[in-house]
Amino acid sequence: MEARDFRNLEKLTYRPGSGLNIILGDNAQGKTNILESIYLLSVGTSFRTGSDKNLLRYDKETYALRGLYSCNDRNLEAELTYHLKSGKMFKINSKKTTFGNPLRLRVVIFSPDDLFLIKGSPHKRRQFLDFILTQIKSEYNYNLVNYSKILKKRNLLLKREQYNTRSFAIIEEVFIENAARIILARINLINNLDEYAASIYQEITNRKGNLKIRYALSFPLESGKINHDALKEALKKQIGEKKEQEIKRRSSLVGPHRDDLNVYQDGRIARYFASQGQQRNIVVALKLAELHTLKKISGFNPVFLLDEVLSELDREKRHLLLDYLQEAGFQSFLTSVNLDEIDHKSAAVVTVKNGHLQ
Amino acid sequence: MRLARPLENLIDNLLKLPTIGPKTAQRLALYILKMPAAEARQLAQAIIDAREKVFPCSRCGYLTDIDPCFICRDETRDTSILCVAEEASDIIAMERTGYRGRYYVLNKNFNLMDDNNLEDLNLDSFINQLASGEVKEVVLALNPDIEGEVISRYLAGLADGHGVKATRLAHGLPVGGDIEFADEITLRRALEGRKEI
Ligand SMILES: [Zn+2]
Repeated sequence: MEARDFRNLEKLTYRPGSGLNIILGDNAQGKTNILESIYLLSVGTSFRTGSDKNLLRYDKETYALRGLYSCNDRNLEAELTYHLKSGKMFKINSKKTTFGNPLRLRVVIFSPDDLFLIKGSPHKRRQFLDFILTQIKSEYNYNLVNYSKILKKRNLLLKREQYNTRSFAIIEEVFIENAARIILARINLINNLDEYAASIYQEITNRKGNLKIRYALSFPLESGKINHDALKEALKKQIGEKKEQEIKRRSSLVGPHRDDLNVYQDGRIARYFASQGQQRNIVVALKLAELHTLKKISGFNPVFLLDEVLSELDREKRHLLLDYLQEAGFQSFLTSVNLDEIDHKSAAVVTVKNGHLQ
Repeated sequence: MRLARPLENLIDNLLKLPTIGPKTAQRLALYILKMPAAEARQLAQAIIDAREKVFPCSRCGYLTDIDPCFICRDETRDTSILCVAEEASDIIAMERTGYRGRYYVLNKNFNLMDDNNLEDLNLDSFINQLASGEVKEVVLALNPDIEGEVISRYLAGLADGHGVKATRLAHGLPVGGDIEFADEITLRRALEGRKEI
């Protein structure tokens, strides 16, 4: 990959190995910038900032990223350029495209921020699911955008007390339709994640721990069946029952924007009962489950980006994870300040200093 | 650098057009300056003529210089089927598929997801046509975005109220894509796959 005028990377060329890659460096030398540029080539936005301006090197007006990768034995080239005035342009094999292109690179990111996945807000857990789904199906992102639009409109009508109009009834129908689509996709995803997460968690805990993940609806689903129609019916019923409350609070109280992801550790809900160490194990299991699920559904390997998470894990888990990454059949990138306690027998190690590889 | 006032004025006006950026506006303006005077006048006159003489058909909303438009006057068309589109440009795409029914263009100039409501749509002519009893099927060819979904449902409800079947272009359209940009083959497939809503 190449990066030009991206943060502190003036002109960087990096040829990583196909397995575990370790990027070493002191703080603020550019380790995470390298991960960030790989992430951008896949997702189009940063995991650290919402503004592209922040990604420009000091005094520069444009940055450019280029990455060569292969997907199902097909060699591909992704290019992302940003200009202060004209914005972003994304190309795959020299053809202008979008980040919905099925040939784009897929990534899984694991950063210290993810350690709050368990105890953090439900919003964070929904984001975790939505990010995976967007990478699996570009249609999902479209559904999500539609849902947020229709939710906004519904809330607007509630605020303006226009809930007895023909418009409101139609908006509500479409709202329910889209809500059901999102929920169904999320439940399907969780079914896949659950299977992987459970077995990985067993491995991490030497067969002592038990992990289960479930989708927590913001409304009751009476029929045991989960399909589009059953969801629509349940949503409709609950919205009917909550109508007065919604009018009073002037916002939509039922739907995927209020749902959550429940993680159970040994049968108990992890966000209340898991210790900090257990939470970390769970997050590791979830992240690896994300990776396997992406591979299973999309058919090709994502790239795994681990930003400064090693130091957050205890010694035993660290070894376990490193062994796992070195034996795994996918490419991973890991940043660290030093190689202490890092068993890197088959890893490709580089050091970054002042934005340059050494 | 300072440009001559009239040139600057021309560039500023071209810049108001969609898809025209500063560079293109400048290029077009300089091109116009090099045109023979008669041709430049012709271009200006063409803009004035089109603007003054073309208007939406009172019956279907298609852009026309006679009222009703040539499509509405065409007696060989199947009057039992009415295709609803968002913009006149969608009709051009539909015509290429070999569709031989009539049209109704919404020509909507508001944002439903923001400020306006369905009640703000001017649908008098549409409702009159439903009431006439001639129309047996309404084909909703709106963009497959959320706004199109909402309006489609609303129109389907109106059609249903008049005992008219409503179908919607279902498959083959790129999700999130504008109908205007769908190529003919996908549009034709979408039309065959229309399903009752
Ligand atoms: Zn007409």
